[in-house]
Amino acid sequence: MTTLVDRPDALSADVGYRTVATMVREWAEKMPDAVAMREKDYGIWQETTWREYWDTVVDAAHALLALGVAEGDRVSIHSEDRPEWVILDMATVAVRGITVGLYPTNPAAEVEYLVSDSGAVVHLVEDQEQADKVMEVIDALPGIKKIIHTEPRGFRMWRDDDRFLFWDDFLHLGRKHREANPGEVERIMASATGDDVMTLVYTSGTTGPPKGAMLTNANVRYCIETLIGLTERLPGNKPPNPDDSILTYLPLCHVAERIFSTWHQVGYGCTLNFAESIETVQQNLREIQPTLFFAVPRIWERIHATIAIKGRDGTWFKRIWFGLGMSFAAVIGRQRVGNDGEHTALSRLLYIIGYPIVFRALRERIGLRRLRYSASGAAAIAPEVIRDFLGLGIPLYELYGMTENAAVATCNLPGRNKVGTVGEPYPGIGFRIDEETGEIQTKHAAVFQGYWNNPEQTAETFTEDGWLKTGDVGEWVDGTHVKIVDRMKDIIITSGGKNISPSEIENSLKASPYVKEAMVIGDGRKYITALIGIEFDVVGNWATRKGIPYTTYRDLGEKPEVVELIQGVVNETNSKFARVENVRKFRMIPKELDHEDGEVTATQKIKRNFMGDMFGELIEGMYRS
Amino acid sequence: MRGRPLLYTSYESDQAIFNTMAKKVFAGLGLLVLVLLPFNVVPGLGFLAAGDWLRLLSTVAIFVIGGLGLNILLGLAGQVSLGHAFFMGVGAYVAAVLGGDPEGVRLGFGLPLWIWLPAAGIVAALIGIAFGPAAVRVRGLYLAFVTLGLVFVGDYVFRNWISVTGGAEVGRTFPPLQFRLWKEEEPLIDFTSDGAWLGIELISEAKTFYFVLAAALLFMLLAKNLQRTRIGRAFQSIRDRDIAAEIMGVDEFRNKLRAFGISSFYAGVSGALLASFVGTVIPSRWDLFLSIQFIAIVLIGGAGTVAGVVLGTSFVILLPRVVQDATLWMQDVVKEGDSLLATLLDLVVATDSTDFGLVNTLPGIGPGLSVFQLNQVIYGLLIIGFLIFEPLGLYGIWIKIRNYWKGWPFTY
Repeated sequence: MTTLVDRPDALSADVGYRTVATMVREWAEKMPDAVAMREKDYGIWQETTWREYWDTVVDAAHALLALGVAEGDRVSIHSEDRPEWVILDMATVAVRGITVGLYPTNPAAEVEYLVSDSGAVVHLVEDQEQADKVMEVIDALPGIKKIIHTEPRGFRMWRDDDRFLFWDDFLHLGRKHREANPGEVERIMASATGDDVMTLVYTSGTTGPPKGAMLTNANVRYCIETLIGLTERLPGNKPPNPDDSILTYLPLCHVAERIFSTWHQVGYGCTLNFAESIETVQQNLREIQPTLFFAVPRIWERIHATIAIKGRDGTWFKRIWFGLGMSFAAVIGRQRVGNDGEHTALSRLLYIIGYPIVFRALRERIGLRRLRYSASGAAAIAPEVIRDFLGLGIPLYELYGMTENAAVATCNLPGRNKVGTVGEPYPGIGFRIDEETGEIQTKHAAVFQGYWNNPEQTAETFTEDGWLKTGDVGEWVDGTHVKIVDRMKDIIITSGGKNISPSEIENSLKASPYVKEAMVIGDGRKYITALIGIEFDVVGNWATRKGIPYTTYRDLGEKPEVVELIQGVVNETNSKFARVENVRKFRMIPKELDHEDGEVTATQKIKRNFMGDMFGELIEGMYRS
Repeated sequence: MRGRPLLYTSYESDQAIFNTMAKKVFAGLGLLVLVLLPFNVVPGLGFLAAGDWLRLLSTVAIFVIGGLGLNILLGLAGQVSLGHAFFMGVGAYVAAVLGGDPEGVRLGFGLPLWIWLPAAGIVAALIGIAFGPAAVRVRGLYLAFVTLGLVFVGDYVFRNWISVTGGAEVGRTFPPLQFRLWKEEEPLIDFTSDGAWLGIELISEAKTFYFVLAAALLFMLLAKNLQRTRIGRAFQSIRDRDIAAEIMGVDEFRNKLRAFGISSFYAGVSGALLASFVGTVIPSRWDLFLSIQFIAIVLIGGAGTVAGVVLGTSFVILLPRVVQDATLWMQDVVKEGDSLLATLLDLVVATDSTDFGLVNTLPGIGPGLSVFQLNQVIYGLLIIGFLIFEPLGLYGIWIKIRNYWKGWPFTY
């Protein structure tokens, strides 16, 4: 069950509901000089202590009050991960406001939708790029009172626009308000309740526009205690603690990163380290060597591919050793997959030999040497990828959850890690698989309050007896573990009447380092086909080695040799599936899919309908005889 | 945080001279070995405790100081100079005049070491700065020629200013390495006689070794520190592209003067120590060959790095001794037996005046090269070889080996 180790108790009875902001204050009192976060700036990791962190949160909260933000008002944040994101988030919660996160890749049209739908009064932009987006649609957003910017550069053209406020001036404003009204923020915090909505998390919306899921203080606290605080979730039964280091790099507006960064931080005192940007994640990983790490399958696939390419590019002597290590890893991985994720005698022996010669150094290079727990979630991952990481000695567990239940659903546990499943339901939660439809349903204190301004959709999301309908089809494995079949609405029924789960086939294709995107088609068709997008650098590297000249993404994808290469990947996948599930034909996607162009969501999930329209001609071509 | 060598949370740790535990440990061990050398307790290095080897190591330490000076000019600031020997000569004669015996044949004021040694550096630095403006106007090969001129001017002056230098082929004596507070009879600390220090019996060579070792370490620290300061970075930017450096706000004129000044200071101190260490020196000691030796030190060791200078100096100074020992060993083998090895080695060394060999240890007799000539040939070949194949020098080879393991099991 849940254990709260090393956590300060609530201060006194009249303090109000224990929100995430309260937790920051508690840590600041308990260990004021410990490091709460680091951000790489001007080449070094600048540290912020808990005392400074809380002090800035109070300043920011006062500043929000000075700007007239009242209880229940929305504050939207459009920025890459950086301390200001977290500070404003905590400050908003402290004054009982509601934080709304936007993806940095959201284009202007989506900014307009998200800001107007949520009705934000204060909007934070990171830099001029994000400011341009909001200013493009500002006329449709009369509710915005202030736009705070965290970078000073590039704002000259708006210097006379009093809607803009630089972050330092914002904090200054807060300090003045704090001097004039001392204790105001604490008074508001004391009136907080568990039912206060603290954040709107907009779901990515593969169909239709995004919907804002309302999560309350009580939801979040349940998530912190049930999911993060589950002692047996981490190897050695050692829960997250202030010695743990986390790299923050995925968008904080997504519930998964919120859980693995800020909620780990406030709940258990872990140190957050903000990556410079998504491009530098691998470098930052090496520097930070986090102890806890969460990544989406896309990132795991990327690291997987990097290891393969770098290994192959080595000098002959290194290649021999690398090859030896990898063959050890393959055996270890298979042994562990067959043994609930644990070592067997053989795999332990191989690991002891392989560790000094390859594994230790390799894990240091990819930045996962000090790792004691890592997880994959937010989308399905190919079992092969997990197997290979287990083979290298990286403790990787797949888990499952969704925004609407604050990700509290299932997870794999050390000693009971069944690769290919998403694990077991958390102890004590309501979890069931509908017998008729196979849909997974949950009911617990972290299930959300509904969609913002959208009672119809909210009603559709719940069963009559009040269970959350996840929309995912699952099945039991061995009576304890859950396997996700697919999104309910994505399941393909061929004209022959066969039910096929496309994501399994897609993930198997994507397990190849050469394949970045795969979309399986076949609903109402005679056979299965696929659109495949190549991984540009990996295939480019392959082509260079083969002496194949190429220019653009499209040109490379259409080379006969590349098509042949991908055919090999497809054949390999087909050999793992039944005949009806075999991909008969495929076409290369002629462009890299992009959020701004609307083909994928901010979380890189393919929008199937949109793809169907965009590449209709390619798809039809595969069904013409 | 522990165990994360790449996580820098402050510029101090980022720029630290010993930024990893391994470097700290190795530097400490190295220092310990050096300090223990004269006591014949380091396994495998016992032979170095002998007086002649200690003198050789002291020479290395003195040359390290000079090499660091040229490294600042050539390796950091990118200014080719063949005039290093001249500045060493200046330092030596300043030391001789200030510290020399007032009753002696040549000019001397009998001032103590703590005056003549810094003064040697300062006067050399001032001359370097005075020469600087000429050097600022030319670069590359032309600068090399201008500084070459300096050596010949210096050579002329040194030969003919007899009251100071003693004149060609005669030379003069230099003040010994003795520390006095002022002009008292008995030195406070004498580095040139056998005796006990703190109850530990030491030979004079060991004392001299400790003194020059301490001086060399001090100058190494200063040089290393210079590299990571604003001035050092300004030098490097001028080296990499002077026009770009000026655009970034680096004052080229001022920094080139600084580079010449600092470099000449090192040269002056090194020259004074060398002359004092040797005792009697003739003016032709400060000739072009000495300059070339320093160029060899910097290029073989690895331009731009302190560790490279140490490696390069050890190599250049110890090479003649190694060649000589090897020649003697080969002669012994040839004389003793008629094994296959002896036959082969007979082709290499000459054993008597009628025998032909590449190397001849008996100078002036028979054909073949003397050990000194052979060394010059080897320097030349090595400079050419390093410039073509390993521009980063011995230190570069080390860096390559280190990087090979740093990337393991990848290549990049």
